[in-house]
Amino acid sequence: MGVGSSHGNGLFFRTLTEKQAEEIHLASSRILEETGMVIHHQEAVELLRQAGAQVENGNRVYFPNHLVKKALQSAPSHVTLYNRNGETALQLQGSNVYFGTGSDTLNYLDPVSQERRKWHQEDVANAIRLCDKLPNIDFVMSMGLLCDVDRRMINREQYAIMVQNTVKPQVVIAEDGDTLRDIIEMAASAVGGKERLRQKPLFMIYTEPTSPLQHPQDSVDKLLIAAENGVPTNFACGGVAGASVPTTVGGALVQANAEALSGLVIHQLKAPGAPFVYGYGNSPLDMRTMQAVYGTPEAVLFQGGMVDLAHYYELPSWGYAGCCNAKVCDEQAIAESTMFTLMGALQGCNIMHDVFYMEFGLTGSLELLVISNEVIGRARRLLKGIDTDQESLGVEAIMRVGPGGNFLGDDHTANHFRENWLPDLSDFNNYENWSENGSKTMVDRARERIKQILETHQPKLVTDEVREQIETILKRAREKVGANEK
Amino acid sequence: MSDFNSLAELVIKGDYNGAQTLTQRMVGNGNDPLEIINQGLMAGMNVVGVRFKAGDMYVPEVMMSAKAMSKGIEVVKPLIADKDMPTAGKVLVGTVKGDLHDIGKNLVLMMMESAGFEIIDLGVDIDAEAFVKAVKEHKPQVIGMSALLTTTMLSMKDTIEALKEEGLRDSVKIIVGGAPISQGFADEIGADGYAPDAAAATDLCKRLIA
Repeated sequence: MGVGSSHGNGLFFRTLTEKQAEEIHLASSRILEETGMVIHHQEAVELLRQAGAQVENGNRVYFPNHLVKKALQSAPSHVTLYNRNGETALQLQGSNVYFGTGSDTLNYLDPVSQERRKWHQEDVANAIRLCDKLPNIDFVMSMGLLCDVDRRMINREQYAIMVQNTVKPQVVIAEDGDTLRDIIEMAASAVGGKERLRQKPLFMIYTEPTSPLQHPQDSVDKLLIAAENGVPTNFACGGVAGASVPTTVGGALVQANAEALSGLVIHQLKAPGAPFVYGYGNSPLDMRTMQAVYGTPEAVLFQGGMVDLAHYYELPSWGYAGCCNAKVCDEQAIAESTMFTLMGALQGCNIMHDVFYMEFGLTGSLELLVISNEVIGRARRLLKGIDTDQESLGVEAIMRVGPGGNFLGDDHTANHFRENWLPDLSDFNNYENWSENGSKTMVDRARERIKQILETHQPKLVTDEVREQIETILKRAREKVGANEK
Repeated sequence: MSDFNSLAELVIKGDYNGAQTLTQRMVGNGNDPLEIINQGLMAGMNVVGVRFKAGDMYVPEVMMSAKAMSKGIEVVKPLIADKDMPTAGKVLVGTVKGDLHDIGKNLVLMMMESAGFEIIDLGVDIDAEAFVKAVKEHKPQVIGMSALLTTTMLSMKDTIEALKEEGLRDSVKIIVGGAPISQGFADEIGADGYAPDAAAATDLCKRLIA
């Protein structure tokens, strides 16, 4: 396939040359072979040892290159996620792009009161319901860390809210293997059984190594459970350049690639052909504030490199979009998040998360979500490129209208103008009309849209039977972890 | 320039090989080890602190300076009785059970070290029992617990409870930090302090010990 991303007619984008991708691959292979990883998981270490990896001190594993090659051969080049109705939703392959929210922000920027506060179950339900309605938000993550449930139950309770408030597919976080098993059960219940869930996955699990070069027990647990159950997974750390990965973009790519591939090897040893999504994040450390920051030019370049490596390996790719470091939905928020969204789209990153993240992921803004929905719409139009078929070239129309004429009254315009992008939130009025409408800024209009959608939009409900099954699973889990009954 | 000024300059520049060599030469020339620390190494580090706060130096440069200082201290330490070693206080740090993310903890540790604290670093994945054992052994003034994951931060409370059970809670100040931690969470679990970043954590320790 080579590197680079092809879209629509004629549009092509790449960050790395084929030669650079190969250089990074070779450098990562050296790290895997000569430095290896510390893997805090006995079963995974045993799988690797039996496959021919060298193991030292019980958990230091050196990955010979043939294991990487074999894993790359058995891993599928496309992964499909389905919605709750069993319809194809995300086809993660080639240069297709999909966008969704992030998970577990600590703070909610309440769009009504505009205060920054903790998330309650009702807030997450509303936010997910909003995503259900927004046409360019293709999947959801949990958005907010719940403050009103037992802490050990958070990821399960979030899942129950997600699956009941949107039909869209999800990417989930799970505290541990037990949580993941409960989530699989809830999802299976929503789609009509475990076998059906395996055939048509409704969610993908997000697992991660701990950079540099360590695999925690819980992460590997989830990786193996995902492999066994055919639940699509990634193995994507959020690297912090200058701290957990090298400060240079090239060095960050080498290490990120090595870690992602090491996860792939374990995953494919457990279940050859199980669905895996390749990717990694990079939030460079700001050397004055010690903050890991989102969407710097280097982070965007890094993502381009990762996506080109995914193309090089013929694996689906995972990444970021629509996120920022701003504290409120201001000019910085839109500048950072929009650049990331557009670049991610051009890069052809298959599944991009964190749309709506503010403050390096500590806070979530529904205003940013709604504005990003519009930005993604613009980006998607760009990806269609330029049509050059006879009808689009419009030679006959140009001849018909002739010198001094007007295309406004011509059939060609009436037949084709709707192919062009039309705004939903952006204001194209003249000053007088804009002022007459209340001189509203984009954020004002976004807030109105949120209010309107939350007042009117009712997502497709799950059946009473499914709701009861989910409640039973939650109840059993609450008892098991010793959570107080609500 | 005096040797003391030169040594301070080497610390400011982060030239750790140079700082080590000059410290060795100054010891050979019969300079007082405590003066080498206070007028050379620490003097340089104090300038670094001011420049960092002013935004003229960035953390990677501060860390090279801290490394230069500790290379110098390694040379003079054997010549000074333990009780005479200048220290701002003793701090015991570790990431909590289940959490291998130690970048943040290490940053705090490096900032504290460069501020003159003695650090006992327990490392990662430290359960309540191990914290208790270390408190008994090292008798620190402050314990710092770090967590990056929302799923592991809960065990901070376990450690505090375990210290209470052992009757050790009042002998130490407990500070917590990490991306998901907030002042509210610190209050909820009964910690003595929370700091949002490494520089603030250092100031917090100074306040708690004072």
